[in-house]
Amino acid sequence: MRYGMVIDQQKCVGCAGCVFACKAENHTPPEINWCDKIITSSGQFPDVRFEYLSTMCNHCDDAPCVKGCPTQAMHKGEGGLTLHEQEKCIGCKACMENCPYGVISFNWQRPHQEWQENKGLAAGTFTPSVMLAEAGGEGSPLSNPERGGSYPLMRSRGTVEKCNFCDHRLKVGLNPVCVDACPSNARVVGDLDDPNSEVSMLIRKYDGKPLKPELGTGSKVFYIRRYTPENR
Amino acid sequence: MDTKDGWKLSRRQLLLGTGSLALASLFAPKLIMAAMAKAGVVYAPGSGKWVGTTCNGCTSFCAKQVYIQDGRALHIRGNEYSKVHGTASCPRQYLALQELYDPDRVRTPMLRGNPEKGRGIDPQFKSISWEEAIKLMADQFMALREQNETHRYVALRGRYSYLSDLLIKNFTQVMGSPNAITHSALCAEADKLGSFFTEGNWGYRQYDIKDTRYILSFGVDPLSSNRQVSYYCKEWGNTLDRAQVAIVDPRFSASAAKADEWLPVVPGQDAALGLALAHQVMVNGGWHRPFVGDFVDGKNRFIAGSEVEPDSFKEQHTLGLVEWWNLELKDRTPEWAAELCGIKAEQIRRIAVKLADAAPKVQIWRSRGAQMQHRGGYTAIALHALNGLLGSIDQEGGVLKWASVPLGKMPSSKKYVDEVGSHGLKMEKIDRRGRLEYPALKKGKSGGGVVTAAVAESILSEDPYLPEFVLGYFNNFTFSAPGGQQWEKALKKVSFVTHLTTNISEFSYYADLILPAPHFMFERWGIQKTAGNRYTQVSISQPAVKRLGMSVEDECGLPWLLAEELAKRGFENPLNYLKTEFKDPETGREPTSADEVALYATKILTQTFWDPAKYKEGDHLSGWQEFMEKGIWNSKPYAFRKRWSHMKTKSKKFEFYSETLKYALQKHAKKHHTDVDGVMQATGYLARGELAFIPHYETPYRFGDESKFPMLFVDYKSRLNREGRSANTAWYQYNLDIDPGSHKLADAAKLNPLDAQKLGISDGDTIRITSLQGSITCQAALFEGVRPGTVAKAFGQGHWAYGRTASQQFGKTPFGGNNNELLPPVYEQLSGSSAFYGQIGVRVEKV
Repeated sequence: MRYGMVIDQQKCVGCAGCVFACKAENHTPPEINWCDKIITSSGQFPDVRFEYLSTMCNHCDDAPCVKGCPTQAMHKGEGGLTLHEQEKCIGCKACMENCPYGVISFNWQRPHQEWQENKGLAAGTFTPSVMLAEAGGEGSPLSNPERGGSYPLMRSRGTVEKCNFCDHRLKVGLNPVCVDACPSNARVVGDLDDPNSEVSMLIRKYDGKPLKPELGTGSKVFYIRRYTPENR
Repeated sequence: MDTKDGWKLSRRQLLLGTGSLALASLFAPKLIMAAMAKAGVVYAPGSGKWVGTTCNGCTSFCAKQVYIQDGRALHIRGNEYSKVHGTASCPRQYLALQELYDPDRVRTPMLRGNPEKGRGIDPQFKSISWEEAIKLMADQFMALREQNETHRYVALRGRYSYLSDLLIKNFTQVMGSPNAITHSALCAEADKLGSFFTEGNWGYRQYDIKDTRYILSFGVDPLSSNRQVSYYCKEWGNTLDRAQVAIVDPRFSASAAKADEWLPVVPGQDAALGLALAHQVMVNGGWHRPFVGDFVDGKNRFIAGSEVEPDSFKEQHTLGLVEWWNLELKDRTPEWAAELCGIKAEQIRRIAVKLADAAPKVQIWRSRGAQMQHRGGYTAIALHALNGLLGSIDQEGGVLKWASVPLGKMPSSKKYVDEVGSHGLKMEKIDRRGRLEYPALKKGKSGGGVVTAAVAESILSEDPYLPEFVLGYFNNFTFSAPGGQQWEKALKKVSFVTHLTTNISEFSYYADLILPAPHFMFERWGIQKTAGNRYTQVSISQPAVKRLGMSVEDECGLPWLLAEELAKRGFENPLNYLKTEFKDPETGREPTSADEVALYATKILTQTFWDPAKYKEGDHLSGWQEFMEKGIWNSKPYAFRKRWSHMKTKSKKFEFYSETLKYALQKHAKKHHTDVDGVMQATGYLARGELAFIPHYETPYRFGDESKFPMLFVDYKSRLNREGRSANTAWYQYNLDIDPGSHKLADAAKLNPLDAQKLGISDGDTIRITSLQGSITCQAALFEGVRPGTVAKAFGQGHWAYGRTASQQFGKTPFGGNNNELLPPVYEQLSGSSAFYGQIGVRVEKV
């Protein structure tokens, strides 16, 4: 079993629904997106192109981030996923250096600390800490206790974090949240080892390619078709 | 806010600026273990509950399901029971979570301490109880009654659900005021005008994109905004397999990025392009004969420059094609249009061929930008007439209306109006609707619509009178109306302003009393409808989480609280109205609380959907419980071609020569003892004579002399805008780069690099944009997807209030600049619609 994902660029409308669903699921701080995007504009008026490419950890078979991690915080897990153990992370950023895709983020500050603030805008408004106390939640009202079962909701300052393919959801038979949240069904998850899985079939049908295939990292997020219609 | 500047550092800036500090902290004690120990219960993924509700983040009004776990709202998706969009959604739904848990939300009622009002002047709000707040409002109502001047109460509605009629219309009526002022004229009235005066539909359209072959969109960016974004996001990629798409827009939109062709039209010149396409379709013989008809002998006589004998053409389901040709189209050649609209004649010819080839499975979309212009009413009609010409009306793959659905009406309050109230109701409405210069022809009726933005003008000039008590609900007209500065001045003049709101907005800043509102999607009852995928749906909002702070049900609950207090003071009609007319349809029980009125009103208005005894059509539901659990009812599938020759126009036909508009204009003229030419003149239109009744070209009005304001401003909607309400969320600010050419963590105005070079402006520079109306400061973004000579900027930023993330310094300094401070407070006067678009001259300078 090797989990992989296919992203259909024609179906993708660049809405970033995947980004927000990921943030809600994984309690990432505002400045960190596990599911992120590469946006490119090209051409000259009026022949302009704009492309949105959804990015995430590629869960490489031969993961450079794992190789370089001195504490095995970054490691390979079940189903070929590249996982991260917060408790072992010493924040050396070797994984960030080694990752050719730039999808690992570093917590320069303690995440979600803005919720500790107790200043309000006026006498009758909430303050961050009053909102947190009234709404509940660990660290912020947006923290998802379902995530907290296998990964700390409040990450430490000086540690890295990245997409772990919603391993907690996969375990109970659910899709990664970005797959379910995509309005255009552009994302498909499945077993790359199974030639009859939808992901395998899509990759064959459309000659799917991962990012930077020349690096041979065995990355497992494949892209098919074009964001921009053919005749542009 | 000092913390905010730190917050808004980009990741790159953080890497550059704080690396050494962070490295030093690597070996700081880990806080994880402590946090984990505190963490408490862990929930199995998927063990939460999806609750049906509705999003009011934009006019798509999608039915939603919100995922509740641990008593909190954690995810949102499209409602699985929706036949319009299913679980598909859009990105801005997620920002609602950050709106719900916004730490800057209003928590309690607040009373102004500082009588001096103004931007930058601390209102010194203090927290008060609901009891005190209601008493203050009741004092105002009772004083107006004693003065026999109940018309001086004005209720302003912004965004809303169908329950809002209770607060804004019916309660206002019982209080004796004619001033139930909705925001519709800021929204899309000029759009409705286009379909009303052609096919008798004062409403919106759905586009059957699953079966279409050609989409030509004037100003619509369906992947970002306008109606049914979720459905179009879901299907767009599949549509590209079957259909060609061309997007007409001065700026390169998210939809243009996913289209075959981008037509960067000159702002204000959409009609020239549309009319030339109609001309060329006719010259090519490309009209759809089963809908429009044909020449009696089958020979095409539409030759450029030549008139056609009316009797030579026999129409089927349309009226006045030959008149349209003879009066207008015969000279509207592609060459004529190319000069004006900036699209090459050969491109216009090519598209005309493609449209005719795809007809009737073709769709001409039109949105605010093309129509909500000072002289945009006829553009709306012209672009919709193109649909008629191509026979796409009510066809598979064509343009459909929102089907009418048997949604109930708010129980009438008429009989609860007493003598004092009757006197007030006879007074002229504060928005001047129906005056010669403001026909506001909703459904063809003079003064039938609303002229929302005129209220500020009326207050300032005390014409027809000065209101004493203004209630604003779910609105922020100081921010969202063109010429917002005018509203700031106007609100200062009103002696008592109450604002019912989730956040202290730019409107609240001028309020004397602020009332905390619940969040529409999660904390209250509500009703909305939308259409797409050949269905119309009605969905409810419901309290899905425990209400935060001290907010109460707003649209129904506030009237209850006021009615109770007024009854104590001897004015019992409002309470009698609520108790008598809002009984639970299941049990017959009278309401006894604010929450119960809201619940029962929801049940009453939706009874035809959930009560098997009242069933009319569409989804079969077993009762209220099932409806509440699903949160949605779907109509039967669309009935194609049923309206052909049965339209709600004067002729029952699709009117190229609008007898319906002729009737409306003549009636309005008669009311003011003038003729139609007089109405044209008073409303700023150049047409005279018969041209007033057909889709025709109007030279766009340019605000600001070209020598002083050489560029044209293009306002648009970000795909992360929840109207003006999402800017206080971090997820919004950090992800604005999904709008083509925009920057995150900035309020970016997009300039073509050619213009930027001339102006000495580089990407990221701070710039000042100035119009006749005002001046704003924002960041320059250089982008090839902007027509040279124009500057494009999304509405939504430029808050100087609303919260600490939205503003630079709350109460004082905006983050970026609000487009509406550049836009003049002018109108498309036939509909009453505010004119946000057209030719708004601006000057751009590096600061």
